[in-house]
Amino acid sequence: MRGPSLFRPEHDAIRVPPTGSSRTALGQLILLTAGLVVLTLISAISIYFVNKARHDARWVLHSMKVENEISLTQLQMQRAETAQRSFLLTQHPEFRAAFEEAAGQILPGFERLEKLTIDNSYQRQRLQQIVPLNNQRIERLRRGIDLALTNQLDEAVENARREAGRDEMRHIRDLGNEMRAEESRLLAARTASADASQSFSALITAIGSGLIVLFAGLSIYLVRRSSRERDLANAQLRDINLNLESTVEKRTSDLREANDEIQRFAYIVSHDLRSPLVNIMGFTSELEDLRGNIFRRIAELSRPDGLPPPAMDDSARVAKPTLEGPDEQLSQDFTEALGFIKSSIAKMDRLIGAILSLTREGRREFHPSAIATRDLIESIVSTVAHQAAEANAQIRVEPLPDIVSDRIAIEQIFSNLIDNALKYLKSDGPGDIAIRGQRKLGFVIFEITDNGRGIDPKDHQRIFDLFRRAGPQDRPGQGIGLAHVRALVRRLGGTISVSSELNKGTTFTVTLPAAWMGTNRDEQT
Amino acid sequence: MSAPVTIIMIEDDEGHAKLIERNIRRSGVNNEIKPFTTGTEAVNYLFGADGNGLPHKGESLLILLDLNLPDMTGIDILRRMKENRILKCAPVVVLTTTDDSQEIKRCYDLGCSVYITKPVNYDSFANAIRQLGLFFSIIQVPQATP
Repeated sequence: MRGPSLFRPEHDAIRVPPTGSSRTALGQLILLTAGLVVLTLISAISIYFVNKARHDARWVLHSMKVENEISLTQLQMQRAETAQRSFLLTQHPEFRAAFEEAAGQILPGFERLEKLTIDNSYQRQRLQQIVPLNNQRIERLRRGIDLALTNQLDEAVENARREAGRDEMRHIRDLGNEMRAEESRLLAARTASADASQSFSALITAIGSGLIVLFAGLSIYLVRRSSRERDLANAQLRDINLNLESTVEKRTSDLREANDEIQRFAYIVSHDLRSPLVNIMGFTSELEDLRGNIFRRIAELSRPDGLPPPAMDDSARVAKPTLEGPDEQLSQDFTEALGFIKSSIAKMDRLIGAILSLTREGRREFHPSAIATRDLIESIVSTVAHQAAEANAQIRVEPLPDIVSDRIAIEQIFSNLIDNALKYLKSDGPGDIAIRGQRKLGFVIFEITDNGRGIDPKDHQRIFDLFRRAGPQDRPGQGIGLAHVRALVRRLGGTISVSSELNKGTTFTVTLPAAWMGTNRDEQT
Repeated sequence: MSAPVTIIMIEDDEGHAKLIERNIRRSGVNNEIKPFTTGTEAVNYLFGADGNGLPHKGESLLILLDLNLPDMTGIDILRRMKENRILKCAPVVVLTTTDDSQEIKRCYDLGCSVYITKPVNYDSFANAIRQLGLFFSIIQVPQATP
């Protein structure tokens, strides 16, 4: 007999795929974070440099304005001087007007310059020198014009000639040029700075873009690697699942085989036990006949010689020979021994018969069908109505939920339980048996309650065992019913339990799946 | 009926064989009873050395067959007999402990004449065999001819 070995290490060694994926995920997270940081940095730096460039451009513009203003002012000074000379030469009044116009524009020019160079001490210094010099010069030029108007032309020309040779004039020019030079230097510096920030910004952008591209590449690589790993793990998982399924299948079939083996074993054993039993019973009966013959012979032989032998036709006397004293005792002992043998054989035959019917029940295929539970139980109750009336008991069937299950099995379960309830009622007072049911979470829970003699709690487990009974043994039975019921309930995927107290009654609770699909053993051929 | 009927009893349990013979005799059947305790012996006798059953041509046989034999099942013997053109008309009485409905159906399918379950209760057993003996005394058994 090939027994099912339940523990097979080669199937239990289910390997878990290496967990490198978490490391990859961490790497990806770091990469993403780094990418984000770099992007933010580049954006910040770019914004900074754009602002700086704008700032630099403003300053470049500023320098150019200053330069322009200096040039303009110098030009006006030039114009004023030219107009004065022209007036001295021609005395045309329009030249005087031109002089006044040019001279009037010089001061505002200086004022603008002053405003523009408010932050530059070097330029301010120059400006502070140039403004009084210029004012003095304009004054002298105006005085020349005034002299010309008052017909002192010669003196005016002389003044002008002297004027041309004065350092003051050169000094003003030099100062102006210095300012221009300074502003040019500033312009160059500012332009360079603006260029520098722009190229630096470009560099940073380039480096940042390169880094991001690098990170993206790495990220793609990591994602591809992890997806490859995942595919691998999936494949492994599929394999393991298949393996598991086949393991389960194998074990199920092993168990089924073992179960079948047990069924066959029980069947064969009980069967083969019957054969010798027939012999024992048969020859015991033969012995009984022999006993009759022997004791008749003894009776005949022990008869006093004086009496005539019994007439052969007197069958009554032949059948009933009279024995005396010790012979009578011997005959009774013989009968008693044979009686014990026969009753034991009868009992053994009943037990074997019970095992046979149980194994036959175990071999029967179950077929699920929709059952109107209440009708089924009502019909069981009607078959035991006579017994119930004899026991002075009433059976109440409450509304019961319908169920999908094996009809014969359900019938056997309930008729056994109802039968038991009727069998073990109390002798005093009327019996009351109730059958209730309710549906709960895909299961149907039935309760068979009686007010009978009850079962001692220490026997609650025992009563479900084969050939075991509890309480006073005053009712016929083999101790098979509940074992049978439990086997049936289990095959139907349910459970059975008992709650009981001596002299208080018993409740059997049967829980069955509301819709049993017959997955039990129907697939076997 | 030219030749008397021979009863072939194939029964591995000698106690059963004794009880059966005794009860058949009690019913007044005096035909020859040939007991066999193994299937092989019985098959050798029935089908002869060639395995064609020719030795029994012209004889009238009645077979009492137990299904649970130590070396083969009685069903095989039954099948072979019903396939043999000489032995196929000999009545076969299956007398066994099995009361499985599948077995019973199978035996009748194969062509057994009677199926009897041996009762453990001796009174019933003796009664059954005696009635079988009475049955034997009234039935007609054909000669084994092709």
